[in-house]
Amino acid sequence: MSESLIIEATINGFRRSFEVAVHHTLLDVLRDQLGLTGTKECCVVGECGACSVIVDGRPMNSCLMLAVEVDGAEVTTVEGLALGDGHLSPLQGAFLDAGAAQCGFCIPGQLIAAQALLDRIPHPTIDEIHEAMAGNLCRCAGYEQIAKAVQAAAEAANS
Amino acid sequence: MKTFEYARPSTVAEAVALLEQHGPDAELLAGGTDLVIEMRNAWKVPKVVIDLKRIDELRPAIRENGQWISISSTTVMTDIAEDARIQKYFPALVESAVVVGSVQIRARATLAGNICNGSPAADTAPPLLIYRAVVAIAGPAGRHKIPIDDFIVGPGKVALGRGELVTGIELPIPRQPIGAAYTRLTRRRGTDLASITLCCSVEEGGVARIAYGSVGPRAVLVEDSSGVLADPGAPDERKSEILDEVFADASPSLRSMRASPDYRRAMLRVLGARALQTAIDRFGDAS
Amino acid sequence: MKADGIGAAAHRLGGIGRVTGHQQYLADIRLADMLHVKLVKLDCARARIVSVDKSAAEQVPGVRLIMTADDLPQPVPRFGPQFQDRPILADGETKYHGEPVAAVAADTKEAAEEAARLVVVEHEVLEGGVFSVADALDPGAPLVQDPSIRADDQWARTNILREHRFGWGDVDAQEADLVIENLYEFPMVTHFAIEPHGFMAAPDGEGIAVWSTIQHPYLLQKTIGKLLKLPLSKVRVFAPDPGGGFGGKQNPKLEPLVAYIALHTGRPARLVLTLEETFQAVRRASAEVTVRTGLNSDGTLVFEDFECNFLIGAYVDIADRVVTKGSYLAAGPYRVPAVRIVARGILSHTTPSTAFRGFGIPQVTWARESNLDEGARALGIDRLEIRLHNLAEKGEEFVPGDTPADGHWVQSVQRAAELIGWDQPLAPGRGRGIALGLKSGPTTGLSYSTVRLLADGSVLVFSGTSDMGQGARTVFAQIASQELGVPLDRISVVMGDSSVVPYDQQTSASRSSVLMGTAVFNACLDIRNKLTALIAARFEVPESDISIEGGVVRIPDVEMTITEALQAGLGPLGGELVGNGEMRKDKDPSHPLGGSAAFFEFNTTAIELEVDPGTGEITILRHITVGDVGTALNPLQVAGQDEGAAIMGLGHTLMEHYIFDEDGRIRNLGAIDYRIPTSMDLPLQMRSDSIENADGPGPYGVKGISEGALLAVSPAVGSAVTEATGLIIRDLPLTPQRVWEAMTERA
Ligand SMILES: Cc1cc2nc3c(=O)[nH]c(=O)nc-3n(C[C@@H](O)[C@@H](O)[C@H](O)COP(=O)(O)OP(=O)(O)OC[C@H]3O[C@@H](n4cnc5c(N)ncnc54)[C@H](O)[C@@H]3O)c2cc1C
Ligand code: FES
Ligand code: FES
Repeated sequence: MSESLIIEATINGFRRSFEVAVHHTLLDVLRDQLGLTGTKECCVVGECGACSVIVDGRPMNSCLMLAVEVDGAEVTTVEGLALGDGHLSPLQGAFLDAGAAQCGFCIPGQLIAAQALLDRIPHPTIDEIHEAMAGNLCRCAGYEQIAKAVQAAAEAANS
Repeated sequence: MKTFEYARPSTVAEAVALLEQHGPDAELLAGGTDLVIEMRNAWKVPKVVIDLKRIDELRPAIRENGQWISISSTTVMTDIAEDARIQKYFPALVESAVVVGSVQIRARATLAGNICNGSPAADTAPPLLIYRAVVAIAGPAGRHKIPIDDFIVGPGKVALGRGELVTGIELPIPRQPIGAAYTRLTRRRGTDLASITLCCSVEEGGVARIAYGSVGPRAVLVEDSSGVLADPGAPDERKSEILDEVFADASPSLRSMRASPDYRRAMLRVLGARALQTAIDRFGDAS
Repeated sequence: MKADGIGAAAHRLGGIGRVTGHQQYLADIRLADMLHVKLVKLDCARARIVSVDKSAAEQVPGVRLIMTADDLPQPVPRFGPQFQDRPILADGETKYHGEPVAAVAADTKEAAEEAARLVVVEHEVLEGGVFSVADALDPGAPLVQDPSIRADDQWARTNILREHRFGWGDVDAQEADLVIENLYEFPMVTHFAIEPHGFMAAPDGEGIAVWSTIQHPYLLQKTIGKLLKLPLSKVRVFAPDPGGGFGGKQNPKLEPLVAYIALHTGRPARLVLTLEETFQAVRRASAEVTVRTGLNSDGTLVFEDFECNFLIGAYVDIADRVVTKGSYLAAGPYRVPAVRIVARGILSHTTPSTAFRGFGIPQVTWARESNLDEGARALGIDRLEIRLHNLAEKGEEFVPGDTPADGHWVQSVQRAAELIGWDQPLAPGRGRGIALGLKSGPTTGLSYSTVRLLADGSVLVFSGTSDMGQGARTVFAQIASQELGVPLDRISVVMGDSSVVPYDQQTSASRSSVLMGTAVFNACLDIRNKLTALIAARFEVPESDISIEGGVVRIPDVEMTITEALQAGLGPLGGELVGNGEMRKDKDPSHPLGGSAAFFEFNTTAIELEVDPGTGEITILRHITVGDVGTALNPLQVAGQDEGAAIMGLGHTLMEHYIFDEDGRIRNLGAIDYRIPTSMDLPLQMRSDSIENADGPGPYGVKGISEGALLAVSPAVGSAVTEATGLIIRDLPLTPQRVWEAMTERA
């Protein structure tokens, strides 16, 4: 037992080992310690989804997790979505095409939720999309554009 | 958040020992969707946090032995919703698991945590009551099981003694056809805590059971064996009278900002009648 | 030029940063040696501060400063965009729930948070807080503001900030066949931008640098300069793109506090509010609007008589302007011979209300349009018909002395009616509603832009607008692309640094495409003129023989690209061409609002819905919104703005409202019990459409957008609920419980 711990986690494809204070959330550590500020902070009670990251294949609110909990896990943040060669992923491209990003503050979380959805259901229906994204608030309310982008990305993966 | 010591036991026995040692200074951490918020707001300031997620015994998440389905205490809502066995035998539990929070919350929130947290609005409590769930507990004195109805005590209170933790929740596989349905009342369609949680079942012999929560200190279970509620042909007035009795114990909060007591009472009747109808239809399909 | 220029559905400029996570919002910026600031607040609304004990908090390691009002210049400096009434920190008394009493600055966020909890503020809760219009007008009510703050004001000894009277004709002399009078209430709601407000400041040479999630960086510069007695040239404001503003980020709030902390400590300091704190920082004014509508039996409007009481907060912020702009157009887009408007801003012990998308218009529109429907029903006239019958025609001076109707508004109404299928039979249990919204755009304005055509033919546009999601950057680049024939991927738009970018008055009132757009357009023109002069000299041809069109420069016998022309003109040293543009709309002191409308934002909203007879829950089946936009500079962005505004309108119509306890504390702070629409709360079908007649005052005939689609959502929904259920509900939001209560009252 201790108040800080060295953990090892794969973050955006890179295995990293670093020390975290046990009472720091994953969100705090990503933003303040690892400098991965793409993951956003808004409500810190699991309601808005701005802090979403994918942990071992599932989307989660990093504001509700202790960083120590990802010891040994694989974490994807928005910074890890672009393709290896630095090009945008089809999903990111589809967000641009559809005009889904307005102020953009919720968008990292939306992309994470959408990517996790597409990983699980490659061809979701509109209802499945709205359902899978209901934990991601967008006050610019680009919900329709976001859903269209997710569908377009799904279709693009087909061709 | 105040700092604490973080423990990651690998066996139940270790976890029990830690719990016993630290008593009220320790908190168990499952998915953390309740606990992390409580700690951030300093409603809970544990000295020791015991993470249950590295305990091998608590895997696999879901087991079946022909008579029972056991759901280990680290099993999250997503696992429950996706499990074919649970979908088959306990569809109303799935209906409640898929409305807990959002996809992100369901990937973390455990069934056991939902019950142990003791919220009167816990979505999974009514279906667990309906399906006669049993809570498996480990503690300094060994292991025992108690019915869910006895386990749930009141707001923030469950029947756990010092050093005890929940290892799983077990559900008897129904031997006879049963039709069950879950429904809830919320302020919007997206993620919301429920102002009413309600589950009904219709079983052999004209038995109807209704469990409902969020309208009193804990979710309650009422059984009607008059045959009226389960009878598709019974006149509405008769059903109405019985539903009045079923919901007589509801004591919705006067101070809640989610819904007024009058609205909750009225909606119990509306949702109750609707869920009952679904349960009757499903019973018809099942038998 | 369609691909990149005007009318193209071009990708958002800054979009890549937004989808990769690289966009730097304020909270993503880290300064070396930065202090973290946490506010100290009381959990009550109105209290007298007796003393502040810092001793325990000072013991927390890493704490560098605990600032209270006593540490500030005395008397505590006050500021505000309209009145100088908001103190840097609560001055002797807190006037609303969450008003900052002190601030802790520490090396870490955690130390600041812990110390803030340990600051002991001895205080006495004061009885008789003013939390409603009725409370405020009670003769025995305490005064929210000390009369000395507006010493010479006739209203200083009341809780009425000001009373405004507008109108024309003689309402009392009018004879109407039918007079309908009702009171409509609009709730207190908050902006809930997903990016919480944030502020940073750092000593900067002899001056100061301030960062803020602000929409009006130049107003902030002025405010800080005045408070700190610094010349504008020594106040550098950085305004990173806000993560949503909606009006809530227009005016300075806590920047002065953070600036004082930075100067006191000599270190950079940062304060990022929690979402809960943003609820205590900004909100929309709630309103009680009484309307008396006089109609003739053929549906002709004879008079409109309004009493609009806006409940504003403890400090004015921009609320008086919200009251006047919101109520001045109360009679809407109709031809009404006599109109009387009495509008009051009423002070209360609540969060200061500020600008919020629609700026007072949604409150009044809810009342006017709903009451018109009641009149139509009483007269047995179709609700669409009565609107078309009274609607001002293009060019008609429907508000005497103001800008005449600047659009064929009837087209928008008819398009919406057509799209909703107004004349189609309605399924049982359903209802439809249609409502019109009208808002005046800016009444004054001043924008400058500099455009630099660089040696390689690429372009930098400098604009002081804030791009908070509306896509200003993209539109300005499209204008430059159109005018200079340079593709979008060779254009960058520089914003958000007051030392680099020339002055802009503000980003509000859907003004930027029109006002800043014109400035950018003029700057491009300036470049073209300079290029023409350069070419004329270089090729020894008269300027009149040179044409620049679509990126191609033509002189007799020669055709070249703009880049070739530029390089030829500049010669071997290279360099660049700098163009400057300006757009000014001056004050008109004779006008009640200080100026006529630069343009109107006109919108028609049509709704079809269903009400669950058991639970009262509303399902929006179809939501149509049609704006009169002049020209859609970028149709993708127009749709984004319209649909976003429409859904935001559904928020206050169906679910959003502050809930207070008896002592004026906000009970539903934060995301758990303040509900905004999610992806599952959308209309089953949403359709936005635009009427384009290129009849706006901006470049290419553009008018402003961004607010229109929010204005008339509530009355359209309310009217549809009435049709579906027969119930009339005059207060918002139409939560399931509220609708059920109305059903029960009737039964
Ligand atoms: C945004 C959001 C939305 C939500 N929406 C809903 C909703 O719609 N419906 C709903 O019902 N709930 C909702 N919740 C709450 C729900 O997520 C939790 O109740 C969840 O199920 C708790 O499980 P957990 O694993 O996260 O528990 P934790 O937070 O880890 O623990 C909760 C409590 O239970 C104790 N505990 C956990 N496991 C055990 C164990 N094995 N033995 C003994 N004690 C234990 C912990 O010590 C703690 O006190 C929501 C929460 C959030 C943040
Ligand atoms: S910040 Fe984590 S869900 Fe809102
Ligand atoms: S894009 Fe602004 S909040 Fe979603």
